Amino acid sequence: MNMANRNFVRGLLLMAIALLFGGIALTYPLGQLSRAGPGLVPLIVSCLLFFVGAISVVRSHFVAPVPLDYNLKNMFLVLLGLAGFALISEHINMLLGIVFLVFCSTLAGTSYSVIRNVKISAGLIAVAFAFKYLLGLQLPLY
Amino acid sequence: METLHNLAFGFEHALTLSNLMYCALGCSVGTLIGMLPGLGPLSTISLLLPLTYSIPTGGAIIMLAGIYYGAQYGDSVSAITMKIPHASSIVACIDGYQMTLKGQTGLALFTAGVSSFIGGTVAIVVLSTLAVPLGEVGFLFGPADYCALMLLGFFCVSFVSSGSLLNGLAMAMVGVLLGSVGTDVNSGMPRYTMDVPALSDGIGLISIALGCFGIAEVMKNLDNKNVLTPFNGVIKLMPTWPEFKRIIPSALRGSVVGSILGIMPGGGPTMAQFAAYAVDKKFSKYKAEIGSGVIEGVAGQAAADEAAARTSFIPLMAIGIPENAVMALMMAAFIVKGIQPGPNMIASHPDLFWGLVASMWVGNCFLLIINVPMVKYWLSIFKIPYTVLFPAILFFCCIGTYSINNNLQDIYTTCVFGFIGYIFLRLDMEAAPLLLGFILGPMLEENFRRAMLLSRGSFSVFATRPISATLLSAIAALTIWQLVSFLRKLKKAPNHVISESLSLQDSLVQGLSNAPQSAEKLH
Repeated sequence: MNMANRNFVRGLLLMAIALLFGGIALTYPLGQLSRAGPGLVPLIVSCLLFFVGAISVVRSHFVAPVPLDYNLKNMFLVLLGLAGFALISEHINMLLGIVFLVFCSTLAGTSYSVIRNVKISAGLIAVAFAFKYLLGLQLPLY
Repeated sequence: METLHNLAFGFEHALTLSNLMYCALGCSVGTLIGMLPGLGPLSTISLLLPLTYSIPTGGAIIMLAGIYYGAQYGDSVSAITMKIPHASSIVACIDGYQMTLKGQTGLALFTAGVSSFIGGTVAIVVLSTLAVPLGEVGFLFGPADYCALMLLGFFCVSFVSSGSLLNGLAMAMVGVLLGSVGTDVNSGMPRYTMDVPALSDGIGLISIALGCFGIAEVMKNLDNKNVLTPFNGVIKLMPTWPEFKRIIPSALRGSVVGSILGIMPGGGPTMAQFAAYAVDKKFSKYKAEIGSGVIEGVAGQAAADEAAARTSFIPLMAIGIPENAVMALMMAAFIVKGIQPGPNMIASHPDLFWGLVASMWVGNCFLLIINVPMVKYWLSIFKIPYTVLFPAILFFCCIGTYSINNNLQDIYTTCVFGFIGYIFLRLDMEAAPLLLGFILGPMLEENFRRAMLLSRGSFSVFATRPISATLLSAIAALTIWQLVSFLRKLKKAPNHVISESLSLQDSLVQGLSNAPQSAEKLH
């Protein structure tokens, strides 16, 4: 029962997904096999997935544990950069959004340099203008 | 004769100025992005798919195909010079990288370029002769047969891409469940929409593709250290005549193997490369040297790679069922353009079909021109450090998501899938079967419900129809084989604990390669 064992966590996650989708599928009309309702196929697939998840959990006891490694900081910074880009583009404009995306996500890189970030932002802004005026994409740049 | 006539008709379409331009653009952009570390054909196509929405149908499909085989080639370049492949060109790492270590990068790249050209050409002959007869086979397929074929596709893709049937199947099922989000086609009832209006049309394919392949890959690559290439910048491209003569037999063998494996369910470039490499190890005149960095080790697999990339279009266009995740994305692109791939496609859109086939050969020439003499300049892309590259990739993911509906909200969905994709990656769950499941899920459900309706709720229909019975027995054989090999390993292992669950690809590389240094884990 080791939460750091990748194989074990995988099985648990699959079972959780199966329970989520299967549980909701039960609330939809199931119909019969000959006249399937909207809930039937998702229910069948969820049951199979639960079964596969259970096998994975059992199997993890027979396979040497593989440590689960992840980096929460990088994940958080990248997602923050993207969400911030969407939010700023929506409420202010996309040019600021690009600058935010670059300055926020590069915090996850191996090295950080303000000058380099300014250059990347300038490059991406140029690309964004090219997209807008050459390819005709409707970008809310300013 | 008719095939030649059709091909001539195809060339008329492929050689118009605009289509030539789309083909060249697709090949160059595909190669360029395919070369970037960590971006394989799947991520490249997902990134660039939105850009083709505003292009006319024929051009868009020609460009996407160009992006696909361009990315496939670009990927092998990064495998040869830097040993960082995406799943699609793992075999190129074995001999190709050994050649780079010996200072023969130029020769390896030349071999890969010429062999790809040969492989592509052979595959086009196969494609143009086989697609039409196979299309007629497509008409024999009933709903039960389609179901069985899709299931076999899931099994094969799961097995090929993740090595473990169990993990791959689980991902395909998650994909099917995600595909059921939205309005049920038969009853009109919303499913899993959580009363969010945006979800009533289902989850956007691009959000899933870019989240799982673009953003998640960036996050994963950030966790790794930067890899530097031992390639020293000096390049001697042209081989000597004896060297050139060694390319041909190997490339021809690879082309045949690749063309055949490209058509099989779950087949495609990855499987084809391994098979071609194994065939070379058995039959080549220089088989003893393969693994230590020789031409044959690169030529056969490169030819098989390109051949399979092209023949894998056959099941999509003839029967309407994509056999791997890249083809599933292609199918989505066809559908966006209002074309349903399947037995009727060749008859109702001959210009598109033959135009695409002809453009593949044109693309082949483009690849040869832009890659062999100009590869020196392409390689300068490796000088860009990842810290500069990844904000740009993230930006392109955002623009790609946004430009589909001009909706900034879609970026949040992509973020969610980036998060989910990262968790899957970290749990060693391959996203390719998920994508295939997501795209095929609604089709699977529809055909399953139709088959059940026709058989009045009896499963016997799957066993009584010869096509579905054959396909299902193939699935049973695959399952039993997996189970038996697991139990055998368990029996042999000390304390009944299997030490390391190597993926199929890793174990194949280990089995195939006799150079100990290339047997180390590739990812």
